[in-house]
Amino acid sequence: MGYLNNTVVTVDAILTDVGRLALAKNDGSFQITQFALADDEIDYTLYNPNHPSGSAYYGEAIVNMPLLEAFPQATQMMKYKLTTLPRGTAKLPILAVPASISLKQGQSQVVTPQTLNYFGGNTFETSGYTYTISDVRLMSTFEGVGINTSSAQSLNTTNTVGTSVSKTVIGTSLNMRATTINTLFGTNTSLYATLQIVGNDSGARVSIPITVTKVN
Amino acid sequence: MAGSYVRFTPDDFVVSTDAISSTLWSGNNPTLSTFFTSSTQENGSSGDFYLNVYQTASNLSASAVQFAIAYGDADGSGSKAYNTAVDGKSPTSTIFGQWQDLVIGDENTNFTFGSITSSQVFALPIERARYKEALFLGSLSLTIKNPLDTSSGSITLTDNSNYVTAVQFTEAGRVFQLISGSAGVISSNLSKNTSEGYTTASGSYGWLLPDIGTILLNPLALAAPTGSGGIGFSFSGSATASADPNISPNSFLYKAISGSASFKLNSQENISSDFVFVRPRSSEFNYSENPSFISGSTGEVLYSSFINNPQTFITTIGLYNDTNELLAVAKLSRPLSKNFTQEALVRVKLDF
Repeated sequence: MGYLNNTVVTVDAILTDVGRLALAKNDGSFQITQFALADDEIDYTLYNPNHPSGSAYYGEAIVNMPLLEAFPQATQMMKYKLTTLPRGTAKLPILAVPASISLKQGQSQVVTPQTLNYFGGNTFETSGYTYTISDVRLMSTFEGVGINTSSAQSLNTTNTVGTSVSKTVIGTSLNMRATTINTLFGTNTSLYATLQIVGNDSGARVSIPITVTKVN
Repeated sequence: MAGSYVRFTPDDFVVSTDAISSTLWSGNNPTLSTFFTSSTQENGSSGDFYLNVYQTASNLSASAVQFAIAYGDADGSGSKAYNTAVDGKSPTSTIFGQWQDLVIGDENTNFTFGSITSSQVFALPIERARYKEALFLGSLSLTIKNPLDTSSGSITLTDNSNYVTAVQFTEAGRVFQLISGSAGVISSNLSKNTSEGYTTASGSYGWLLPDIGTILLNPLALAAPTGSGGIGFSFSGSATASADPNISPNSFLYKAISGSASFKLNSQENISSDFVFVRPRSSEFNYSENPSFISGSTGEVLYSSFINNPQTFITTIGLYNDTNELLAVAKLSRPLSKNFTQEALVRVKLDF
């Protein structure tokens, strides 16, 4: 007989840039209501289900690895969420979206993700998708449509003025229109950003590079 | 049930406030032993009222104000008058009225140090960034030496918070008497003091006002003869209506403090922590969207054993609002194993 391990793991959290912005807005958006878990930094090919010492050692190469400290940039954290699915799931939900998006100045695009391998063959998630662009200055329009909950609408109507800030919206579809402002380009002919799409029910995630090309 | 987000219940949140004490001076030094002033500040308009004290030469980039010295006198003694036609109104009378208003809240009442009433006071306000929220009781050891008479020796002062059963309050919050001793402990040699650690005839050495980060020194106690518990501290020269003294009271006390080179004090602040209990259940979070968890482009799990016995490793905890915005994030020190036979309990601490 041995002693049971009754210790509680305690970790210190840091505010993200989004969290600090929510505090500064003082509009009630800094209200922690839910949590998610992620396994950023884990390489599952290190997991060895054929380990000669048995199942207790399958994760040997993973469990002792050192981890990096948290980054305050919200877009750089929680990249690979753990998700809850029924036991026996053979295929994980994946998002079907364009591999990349290239727009000319002023050009519009609608992105409507589909979730494959999801419950009952549904391809659209009822809670919609969360879209985050790493630099909202590249878009004159960046709006989520199709989800009418008050929280989603609150998020979709929030405007933030500043330099190179990310913006997050929720919807079943995303309407984008590339900026027409020339000064953003400086001497460059193209601007680059990243669009991250997360399925709000499945947790499936994909990151798409966006290129905006100057036209005159 | 499917998804990546789990809602908290009210039982998952605990708010706790803890008092944290730390070193006070720049560079995390518990003792300030080097003292500098700025001739620019001293000779400027503010120099008539107070003297800023730095831990290094004020022209160095690392220099920072540690505390200030300001002498106040109800009758305006110690500095020349604002206007020769108006007697008794000078920077020192302004300083006295300022502290009188802030601490006593009555323009007709003087400071009472022990049992002695004084119409003079030295104020040592500590720079706000140094003391954070309050001065830590029982940490003060301020040594003062008479700059003109080394034979008078020196005296070390501390607060009497360890010996007070009923805390006294002023308009500036808690007040404690300054006594002979160090680090909150009364001096073991009280041959020149009362049993309380005061001077024999001039009252206590001053007040410690922890809630506004200020020390008030009693000039009468410092000026008392060495046999009575003082150090014979008196200013050289005297001000007239039209001329400053050859050395200002502020500079005189600066020499007395810098000459002894020992000023110990700690700060205190209350940190409110939000403890959030994260409880992934056995049936939750057993699959991953990590690209290495799947093989190929169609989403098949990496190993066939993962179909019925998936194994994930938690490295990161994200705290979200209702709109799925990541407000705070915590990293574990090592991956935490999770599967259908395991539950976890992680306490996330969020400081404000």
